[in-house]
Amino acid sequence: MIEITDLHKSFAKNEVLHGISLKIPQGSVTAVLGPSGSGKSTLLRCINMLETPQSGTLRLGQLQVDFASAHKKDILQLRQDTAMVFQAFNLFAHKTALENVAEGLIVVKKKPKKTALAIAAQYLEKVGLTERADYYPSQISGGQQQRVAIARALAMNPKVILFDEPTSALDPELVQEVLAVMKKISLEGITMIVVTHEIGFAREVATEVVFIDEGRVVEQSKPQQFFNNPAQERTKLFLRQITPDYNYQI
Amino acid sequence: MQGNSLLDWEYMLRSIPKVAAGIPVSLSIALIAFVFGAIIGFGIALVKIYQIPFLRRITSVYVSFMRGTPLLVQIFLSYYGIPLVLRYFSTKYNWQIDISQIPAIVFMYVSFSLNVGAYLSETIRAAILSVGKGQVEAAQSLGMTAPQAMRRIILPQAAVVAIPNLGNSFIALLKDTSLAFAASVPEIIGQAKITAARTSNFFEAYIVAAALYWVICVLFERLFSIGERRLRRHERALYHD
Repeated sequence: MIEITDLHKSFAKNEVLHGISLKIPQGSVTAVLGPSGSGKSTLLRCINMLETPQSGTLRLGQLQVDFASAHKKDILQLRQDTAMVFQAFNLFAHKTALENVAEGLIVVKKKPKKTALAIAAQYLEKVGLTERADYYPSQISGGQQQRVAIARALAMNPKVILFDEPTSALDPELVQEVLAVMKKISLEGITMIVVTHEIGFAREVATEVVFIDEGRVVEQSKPQQFFNNPAQERTKLFLRQITPDYNYQI
Repeated sequence: MQGNSLLDWEYMLRSIPKVAAGIPVSLSIALIAFVFGAIIGFGIALVKIYQIPFLRRITSVYVSFMRGTPLLVQIFLSYYGIPLVLRYFSTKYNWQIDISQIPAIVFMYVSFSLNVGAYLSETIRAAILSVGKGQVEAAQSLGMTAPQAMRRIILPQAAVVAIPNLGNSFIALLKDTSLAFAASVPEIIGQAKITAARTSNFFEAYIVAAALYWVICVLFERLFSIGERRLRRHERALYHD
C-alpha cells in the first residue's frame, strides 16, 4: 500500500500540486488521468523523488518519508522500492537491451554479473524480446525499447512500478505491443501506477482510477464507476472531451 | 660536409637514433600530463556543473590564468618557482629534502599537467553535459547513487563525445612538450639541439625532429580514431545501417 499525504510541489513560485493525498492499494493498477498540465506526471516523479516536493509524506510498505526532510538514504531506498518507465524510454544508450536490464541488478543490487545477466534474460523473455538481447537501443523500435524499459523496471523487483505516459512517444502502430505487455504484468499482481492518455487501457486494465486536475485530486474510484457514473462535474466534462461519443447528446 | 648539396642526407640518417632518444622523454611528459590533466579537468568540470560555491571562483581564476599566459612562462614559473617554494618550506619545517636532486622533468610534469587540465576542463564539462537528462534520471530511478550514475552511465557516453577533442588536445600537448627544452629537459628538440651543436647541422637535425613528431602524431591520431570507433559501436545503427 502506498499512502501519500498532503503533497505540495512548486516550481519556483508556481505551485503545481496543491496538497495531494492518495491511497493506492497493494497489487492495484492505478490509472492516473487528467488534462495536460494537470500535474499528473509531476506527481509520479515526486513518488520516486526525481522531483523534490516542498512538503508532504509518503508511506510505501515499511518506508516512511517526509519529503521536506528526506535523507539521502531514504531517497535511495525509495528509489530501490520503486521503478519507473519513462515516456522517452531512457534506455542506457551505450548498453545492449540485455545490459540495460542487468545494469541495476549489478550496480544497485550488487549481483554478480553472470547472475544478473541470467535474470535479465528471463525478463527480456517475459516482454518477448529474447532475440533482441544484444541490440543497442538505437537499433530497435520505440515499442521494443519501451518493452526493454519495462523489463528493466521489473527486474529490480520493486514494490511499485511508475509508468509516466509510457505510450505517448510511440507511433500509433507500436502502442498496442507495449499495452499488451503492461496488461500481462498487471495480471501478476505487481502494483502499477500509470499516468496515461490511453482511456481504453484505463477502462480495461486499471483497477483504480485517479483523476487529477489543476494539481488536485478530483476523484478516485473504480473504473466501472469512474467511466459510467462519475461523481464530479469536472470529471464528466473531461470524459466528454476525451471520448467524443461519451454521453452523446445534441 | 659534402660538396654542393642542400642537405647532408647521411648526417640526417645517422642523427635519427640520437634525436629519437628524446622520444621517451617527450612521450612521458605528454602521457603523464594528459592523465593528470584529465583528472584536474574532470574535477574542475564537476565544480562547474554542480556550481560549488567558492571552489567555482578559484577554478575559474585558475582556468583563466592557464589560458591567458604563455605555456613557456608557466614552464619557467614551475621550473624556478617550485624549488624556491619547496626550499622555503623545507627550511621552515625542517623537511630535509634536497631540492637539487629533483630532476627537471618533474617540474615539466607539473606545469604541463596544470596547463592541459585547464584546457581539458571545458572539453570534459561539455561532454558530460551532452549526456541527456533522461539517462541520469533512468539511473537514479533504479536507485543508483550519483557517483554510480557518473561512472556507469554518464562517463562512458561522455567519453564518446569528448574523444575527438581529447585527441586534438593530446596532439597539441605532444607538440608543446618541445618547449621543455627551455628547461634543459632532453626531449626530442633538446636532443636535436645537442646533436646538431657538435657539427652545426641544425637544419638537418630539426628536419629529423619534425619528421619524428609527425610520425608520432599520425600514430596517435590513428589510435584515437580506433578508440572512437570502438566506443561508438552502440551507434552503429545510426551510422552504417
